[in-house]
Amino acid sequence: MADIQNNPPLAQEVDEKGNLPLVSVRNLSVHFPVGGGFLFGKKKTVKAVSDISLDIYPGETYGLVGESGCGKSTLANTMLGMITPTEGTVYFKGKDLFGVDKKTFTEMRRGMQMIFQDPYSSLNPRFDVLQIIGEPLKIRGGYTDEEIEARVLELLRLVGLSDKDLHRHPSDFSGGQRQRIGIARAIILNPDFLVCDEPVSALDVSVHAQILNLLMKLQKEIGMTYLFISHNLAVVKTICTHMTVMYLGKMMESGKTESIYKNPMHPYTQALLSAVLDIDVDNKKERTILKGDIPSPIDPPIGCRFCQRCPKAMEKCKYIQPETVEVEPGHFVACHLCSGERV
Amino acid sequence: MNDEKKISSPDTTEQENTLTLRNLKVIFPNEAGVIRAVEGIDLDIKPGECVALVGESGCGKSMTSLAIMKLLSSPPAMIRVDELKLNGEDLTLLSEQKMQSIRGSQMSMIFQDAMTALNPVMTVGRQLDEIFMRHSNMKRKEAKEHSIKALAMVGVPSPELRYKDFPHQLSGGMRQRVLIAMAFACQPKLIIADEPTTALDVTIQAQVLELLSDMQRKHNTSLLLITHDLSIVANMADRIYVMYSGKIVETANAYELFKKPLHPYTEGLLGAIPRLSDDHHEFIQIPDSVPHPMFKPQGCYFHPRCRYATEECKCDMPPLREIAPGHCVRCFHPLSEKGEDK
Repeated sequence: MADIQNNPPLAQEVDEKGNLPLVSVRNLSVHFPVGGGFLFGKKKTVKAVSDISLDIYPGETYGLVGESGCGKSTLANTMLGMITPTEGTVYFKGKDLFGVDKKTFTEMRRGMQMIFQDPYSSLNPRFDVLQIIGEPLKIRGGYTDEEIEARVLELLRLVGLSDKDLHRHPSDFSGGQRQRIGIARAIILNPDFLVCDEPVSALDVSVHAQILNLLMKLQKEIGMTYLFISHNLAVVKTICTHMTVMYLGKMMESGKTESIYKNPMHPYTQALLSAVLDIDVDNKKERTILKGDIPSPIDPPIGCRFCQRCPKAMEKCKYIQPETVEVEPGHFVACHLCSGERV
Repeated sequence: MNDEKKISSPDTTEQENTLTLRNLKVIFPNEAGVIRAVEGIDLDIKPGECVALVGESGCGKSMTSLAIMKLLSSPPAMIRVDELKLNGEDLTLLSEQKMQSIRGSQMSMIFQDAMTALNPVMTVGRQLDEIFMRHSNMKRKEAKEHSIKALAMVGVPSPELRYKDFPHQLSGGMRQRVLIAMAFACQPKLIIADEPTTALDVTIQAQVLELLSDMQRKHNTSLLLITHDLSIVANMADRIYVMYSGKIVETANAYELFKKPLHPYTEGLLGAIPRLSDDHHEFIQIPDSVPHPMFKPQGCYFHPRCRYATEECKCDMPPLREIAPGHCVRCFHPLSEKGEDK
């Protein structure tokens, strides 16, 4: 097996600064049973996430990139403990998220929060801003109404809304402002780890930058760690320090953002980068356009998951799963093209 | 390449426009006030040209496209237009029945969400047949042949089998291809594509855009591309209209606009796009958000968000002026006059 998968169950690796990872995912697989009709239907499984391992260190922004259906949201939900994995586990601050009792789990969950993609459906339309942002404090308990209001006001200012918005309802706000409310709700319990699941894709272009800058400002001020899910590679390049490229539930390439953008090794990463439309009208680059669609994760190819669409596919890609190899320190690629050079 | 294109060569101006639109206004009166969705828009589309209408949500770009197709029902909408001509034919006078035969055959539309644009209880083949049977008076058998051909043309693999599929059996990219096949079925003069790739993944988006510009070139169709994504526009459009809050704020050919944006809003939009070639670690942002269509500010609609705004901008709406040949801007202080600051 590849080196990354042979790690001891308890994450011990440290980054350059000697920090232990805040969140470690070890050999995580999530399978969902589907179909299986009434009597004779055959049970099938959707292999949403297969054998993913990653480490997220305190204070960094970790990018998760892939097309829809590649399992990035499932992975994020599992990391937050919302889905029980089929195999493997998640360590948060060194503790096994799925091996602790319910009370500890609830406490651990307070340290990890989420910002959702669609600010229109993720806020309760019948609550006012005070209720929405204050709800996590209420659930946690032990706060008086005055304390909650004071804290909500403090957060409103922090995310760039004003005090007079306190008793307004979500319908009074624009998309960007709603996303700010969502962010305030997510950070009210002072989490260490924040999952941002495509936080700007539902917003207008001119508001994108506002929300992204706000997230970066908050990270600097509060010192949170982000898992940033996105399909916009240009955004990921700007804000993430490490990243993983996923395809059909599998890790294709992972490592430092810099080295991946400078030297994309996997054909899928290369294709993704090439598909990014640039507004540079002076030098239009030659683009490789992938043929075909993403296959269904119900019956993924037995070999490399990407082999059907890969422009460089070889015969063995169809039958043999490529091993994950470290092409340069901290830069992992799962592709026969890269492992071939070593063997 | 775009720079080889002349800005306004005499032979293209003499040619008749595929679409001429003058002073289109769409308003929605309701109890609380009047929503002025579109406030006096002029559009010209020449044969074989790809024109992009760019703007954020709520700026009235979709309303414009629906008004061109005469698909807005009135009431609730109130539409006023001075001139609406397709290939010289005045559409304003046509009855609804006449319009129905023009939609689909002379101009057609590609919608954003293919799942809702297609009928879920009809096979895609039947839906394609319908177009041929309605507009070209074909018999079912003949229509089927044409449909399969149309599916093959847009790159649907094994079109005979896909002909019998229902929309839910196809992937998002395939559905969009079917919509493109339907739009090009009767070889219309004008196709309006309303955010054709927003619902798609990056790699599929690249496929669909390539197909769209391929088909456009092959059939020499005029394309009105409506989108909020300037990066799509940069790769496809010949000419660009930038819309803000119901008004055109800048129009130029694509190369000019990206090289030398004159309106502060265009500059902001261009700056807000993260690029792969960037090295900075901050995003350039436009403050605030688009004004509510019922409470538009006095003067220039963009002045509360504009960093160059002066007293003049707060009182009066600037007119759309032509600064360079073919390059118009609605601003008192277009960026070029401030010198080459970037």
